[in-house]
Amino acid sequence: MAARKRKPKLNAALLRAKLKLKNQAYESAFPRKHPVAHQFLSSHGFRPGKIREHTAKLIASGALAGSLLMSTGPIINTGTTTSPNNNLANVSSSNLGTVLASHLREILPPVGSWQIDPDKEKKVAKELKNIYGVSATGELEGNRLAQIYGRMGAEQHLPRFPGDSVYAHGQLVEKGITPGRGAWGYFVPSQDQMSPELTQLEKYYVAVPTLYLPDWNTNQPYLKDWYKYRKVVVVNPANGKAIVADIADSGPADWTGKHFGGSPEVMEYLGINYGMQNHPVVLMFLDEKDSKVPVGPLEYNVKEHEIAMKNQT
Amino acid sequence: MTKIFYDHLILFEEVLTELDSYELEPEERSELVILIEENLHHTVLDVILTNLPKEQHEVFLAEFYQTPHSKKLLVFLETQAGPDISAKISQAVAKAKKEILSEIKNSHSRS
Repeated sequence: MAARKRKPKLNAALLRAKLKLKNQAYESAFPRKHPVAHQFLSSHGFRPGKIREHTAKLIASGALAGSLLMSTGPIINTGTTTSPNNNLANVSSSNLGTVLASHLREILPPVGSWQIDPDKEKKVAKELKNIYGVSATGELEGNRLAQIYGRMGAEQHLPRFPGDSVYAHGQLVEKGITPGRGAWGYFVPSQDQMSPELTQLEKYYVAVPTLYLPDWNTNQPYLKDWYKYRKVVVVNPANGKAIVADIADSGPADWTGKHFGGSPEVMEYLGINYGMQNHPVVLMFLDEKDSKVPVGPLEYNVKEHEIAMKNQT
Repeated sequence: MTKIFYDHLILFEEVLTELDSYELEPEERSELVILIEENLHHTVLDVILTNLPKEQHEVFLAEFYQTPHSKKLLVFLETQAGPDISAKISQAVAKAKKEILSEIKNSHSRS
């Protein structure tokens, strides 16, 4: 009887490497091939290949109930442009946001794990410096928020002076105006004292949970002054859009599941004014060195970049 | 095993049979199966997003993210991406499986 031919042994390591390569190739091509889907998936920390794990997590959290087909999409409008300085990143101007988003994806933990270690915090700051040329930090003059990464929820316009109305804000009036004043009170005691700078401060404001700072009650006069209109850099890690904003309100409350609040203009610019309007952002103090950077979108100065690129070649 | 709405379109028994014809450590087998399935998930999503109008991508993904098991997803795809979407997925998966089988056969140890 003829001897049965033995099947060759499988090189599992080789097969594993080939399969990993195929999966990596798919993930690399995905942002270019399906940009909208990529943005959505990144903002949710969701990897298509890991759908089975994601489903298991959903079951574990009991979140499988309910099924709504969301019909709203992101509305991303551009605002005014600002060029913070000449610290130019060596990347195509049109891809700055995309580049920042892809770098942040490597650094930030999955959505839901909001704590970032100091090393990663430095890396995020370095990316912001490299891409947008601004100095951002998680800790400034000994002050630090509970977290620099978390969900930002939608806030309404703030009344800037007694008698202010939502219509006087001119834009995004459908977002409404808060019934009470912001954490620091009115911006000015009367309308005739308003200035273009103060108008901008209200337009691009954020709320941070100062009330939960451990020393808020014992050190309040100092802290209140320190946080009042303190400039911060806010980034949407899903699309890399960044904005300089100022702290003009306190909140949100812990129970909301949100960690920061954004004015209608901030939410709109960052492209997080869709769905539940409750999306991940990175929020860091603007370093004093860059305190002259005005509040508003950190749009890259395209002309400046083109000139720099020409000079480099 | 957790349920995904397109599970019936990505059955890969023949790949598992081929894999099981080799002597593999349980951990090795488990890791390879995960990678193979990951590859098939990529294939399916690519077919879906390629055939679904771009303005519907986020609508679909929002639902898929929340309820990956929902049968409504396939109904939605049949309406928005075309009634033959299941056939297109099956076709692409068959091709992917063929490639994986070929990779397995080409991953023999030299000894």
